[in-house]
Amino acid sequence: MTIKIRLARFGRRNAPFYNIVVAHARTARNSKPLEVIGTYDPIPKADPYDDSGRLHKDIKLDTLRAKYWIGVGAQPTDTMWRLLSMVGIMEPKYRSQQPRIAPQLPADIKKPEATSSA
Amino acid sequence: MPPRIPTKSSASSASALVRSSFVSPCTSQCLPSCRAGFSTTPSLERSTNLRRAFMQWQKTIGANFKQPKPEGGHNYLSNSNQPFPLNPQFRSDRVLDEQARELIWEKVMRQGETLKAVSAELGVDVTRVAAVVRLKEVEKDWVSKGKKLATPYSKAVLGMLPTKSFRPGVQNQPLEPINELHIHTATQKQLFWPTAESRQFTREDAAKAFHAKMLSADKRVPHPELIQMEKNLLHGMSPDEARAHFISAAEQSERMAAEKQVKKAMAEEQATKRINTQRFEFRFKEVDSELVGKDGRAPNVVGWKYGMPHYDRKKGMVKIPTSVP
Repeated sequence: MTIKIRLARFGRRNAPFYNIVVAHARTARNSKPLEVIGTYDPIPKADPYDDSGRLHKDIKLDTLRAKYWIGVGAQPTDTMWRLLSMVGIMEPKYRSQQPRIAPQLPADIKKPEATSSA
Repeated sequence: MPPRIPTKSSASSASALVRSSFVSPCTSQCLPSCRAGFSTTPSLERSTNLRRAFMQWQKTIGANFKQPKPEGGHNYLSNSNQPFPLNPQFRSDRVLDEQARELIWEKVMRQGETLKAVSAELGVDVTRVAAVVRLKEVEKDWVSKGKKLATPYSKAVLGMLPTKSFRPGVQNQPLEPINELHIHTATQKQLFWPTAESRQFTREDAAKAFHAKMLSADKRVPHPELIQMEKNLLHGMSPDEARAHFISAAEQSERMAAEKQVKKAMAEEQATKRINTQRFEFRFKEVDSELVGKDGRAPNVVGWKYGMPHYDRKKGMVKIPTSVP
């Protein structure tokens, strides 16, 4: 049976908090997992005494266990894939986190003119 | 059933009675009729002896207690630190006045003295010294930013409380006992510990008897350095030398505490990986998920636990932050 690395929602109404769990794919979201390997707090928080407006999110993760479960074929969900790709455990699925810069055009190719009519 | 709220005519007649019986200090702005608007109880038709005596007292001796003393300090009836004359249990402790707080801030922030040294010199609890410095810093920050302070409020409160001030450069009376031993939970049980009569049973041994990791009472007090100073004095050290020893020991302990804090912060920083995205910074903290114990219910395990009640909303649980970040 497929094994997933996914999030299990805890916390209260309007105050979500997730356990990062390894579980069989067909079990219920909050059923007892094979293993809890971390937590994810999705509510952005400011540092104390910092009024710059920059917010952070806290994640606790046992990277060793995460790597092990990936190694034996566990499949991260999209959200978990995104988080795992941040710490370099997975290849980024959708786009890299760095802003992309288009490569330089060769010198002999002219740019298409904006005013040209079809 | 007759209406319980008195009608306008009855209220005005009652007010006329009240006004005829004694001279009310307030006249045109607050008539008795408008004052009685909130109350459904009819006012007493005749003035009692006690009330008359009170009015008389208010005009004679009582006039002294109407306002706080112009030179500052409290103005209680009993002339002690007892605001309510019939309640001897309620006594207000003295609070540090503006000048005392400024002096503490000056000593710590300008002259660079240690918190413990200032605490021992002035006889103010070391946590209070730290709190005064923190609040003074906030106040000075506000002043520099041009924020308005609630000075009248502070003056009014300090005017009603007994205050304590210090004179710089001389021996001051202490504000409070500073080296009190806080009660440790492990010491709250009754313990019968048989020992040989020939054996010396010290405070160290007593601490070990209560708990294997507990420190002795001499080390758990806020100022163990003061105990050492007294020992030095007993051994014949000169007071100046003993004082110098105490100050250097206080500096050493403060430095060690600071180093410990820095070390902890560094270790935390090392275990954290920061990934900046456009919107948020993601902080990945490395944890060990294998500390779950045999049944997966170890107390410090990562994440919320399964099959265990979460008492965060239970009555009696503290739901507000209990420490300064």
